[in-house]
Amino acid sequence: MRAVENALGIVIPDNARIIRNLITAIQFIQDHVIHFYHLHALDWVDVTSALKADPVKTASLQQSISNWQNSSFSYFRAVQNKIRTIVESGQLGLFASGYWGHPAYKLPPEANLMAVAHYLEALDWQRDIIKMHALLGAKNPHPQTYLVGGMSIPVDPNSQNAINAGSIAFMKEIARKALDFVENVYIPDLLAIASFYKEWTKIGGGVGSFLSYGEFQNDNISNTTNCWLPQGFIRNKDISKVENIDQHKITEDVVRAWYKYSDGDEKAKHPWSGETTANYTGPQPPYKFLQTDKKYSWVKAIRYDGLPVEVGPLARMVIAYVAGHNRVREVTDIVLRRLGVGIDALFSTLGRTAARGIETLIIAEMLPVWIDELAERIKAGDLRIHNGEKWEPSKWIKEAKGYGFHEAPRGALGHWVVIKDRLVANYQCVVPSGWNASPRDAAGQRGPYEEALINTPLIYPDKPLEVLRTIHSFDPCMACAIHVVDPNRNELIKVKVS
Amino acid sequence: MPKIAIDPVTRIEGHLRVEVQVEGGKVIDAWSSGTMWRGIELIVKGRDPREVWLLLSRICGV
Repeated sequence: MRAVENALGIVIPDNARIIRNLITAIQFIQDHVIHFYHLHALDWVDVTSALKADPVKTASLQQSISNWQNSSFSYFRAVQNKIRTIVESGQLGLFASGYWGHPAYKLPPEANLMAVAHYLEALDWQRDIIKMHALLGAKNPHPQTYLVGGMSIPVDPNSQNAINAGSIAFMKEIARKALDFVENVYIPDLLAIASFYKEWTKIGGGVGSFLSYGEFQNDNISNTTNCWLPQGFIRNKDISKVENIDQHKITEDVVRAWYKYSDGDEKAKHPWSGETTANYTGPQPPYKFLQTDKKYSWVKAIRYDGLPVEVGPLARMVIAYVAGHNRVREVTDIVLRRLGVGIDALFSTLGRTAARGIETLIIAEMLPVWIDELAERIKAGDLRIHNGEKWEPSKWIKEAKGYGFHEAPRGALGHWVVIKDRLVANYQCVVPSGWNASPRDAAGQRGPYEEALINTPLIYPDKPLEVLRTIHSFDPCMACAIHVVDPNRNELIKVKVS
Repeated sequence: MPKIAIDPVTRIEGHLRVEVQVEGGKVIDAWSSGTMWRGIELIVKGRDPREVWLLLSRICGV
């Protein structure tokens, strides 16, 4: 969307910007909470240990950490009975294939029971709060209401078929529920769990360079240079300064990826001159191990200024912290103080997981503010949601190039487009998990996942729970991370950036 | 000096394989491998730029 608007030089109306920010915000909140409870928590929480918990003590624990309403003895006893029924059935269902009983699990039974209760509560909660995404986007996932030049969903206080006072009230209630859960369940759980795993502030640090494109725009242009969460780059853990991003420094090489470059796989290419020709040289399945001294992944080695770079919540929070973002600094300092650790602790598996929580909290705090901003504009009579000045292709220049930057929940996402004769001539996506999951490059530098795993302790190599903790802390999303190939035409994808 | 492979890594979106080399109870080397590819960008070539967002958002639903 932004790539095309950038190519065509389109500025969107305020209401469209705010609605886009709101859709992104609720997506972040839902996604991060799902990640914490449903994709990551069971790396730290032993479900079977919850059966040994005393529900009375669990209730006291809950009451000591927040004002959440589900805190009674009978509530936790009911949850425990539910888990017992699942475990005794021998069919663990959603709790199957865990390394239950692994000695790397350190929570007392009561904390495990509390966390499993919240795992189940979060399933219901996420279904409710994402209704806001459905309201503004017409459905979730894959919202339908975007439009080059703005949005297609009308705002009109006098229409039943538009964002009106009723929808604003509905969204305010969702925002209240979102913040309530994040403040009283997610953050207290995060702090409680983290306090038992402080050694994980020294494990899983990774490459130490961070990039954020910036998100939650303050202005209406297609560049994300003026955002509530700032754009920037941090080099080798140097938290004395945030560098400005120069997108020409983004390159990809394929020395260790299953592609072939016409002038040498080791020559890093800027997306402008990118090529994507498949060249699978790996073993035929079934195989035991990849040939990791050769090519071994479908993910290219994405680099910024030649460096492997981490993207995602930790990158955004570190960059915002160093850039002087007030709320990021306040909440991060509180979290670090509560855990009794310094700022260096952020560069770790636990730091990555904590940063995701910090980000969720501060976005949930902003949600009602942004809803009010939209409500006030509508009330004042500004009903514009779309700029149609350049909708007609006859108004476009013959050849246009653009790029669009966005922060997805998992990190920096860039799209590049080339428009020729009013049609898309080329398109390229450089996605968050492509940065984080990237393999070694021509210089032999490991990618962020790989580097983060070095020195991870493993109690049982055949039950690598500790490896999963670090990998999961990045929140991998692999479907996007892999590059494009056309096996029939063997076509090169040339990516151009304006 | 065991080498271990985790494939697929679960509780993520998509397909990821991780191999690690272990020595003295610690990971001493690691390799991350994406084991699938995507083809979505090809779909939008030759199309009206005003509709590509709708197609490309299907890259990821999470």
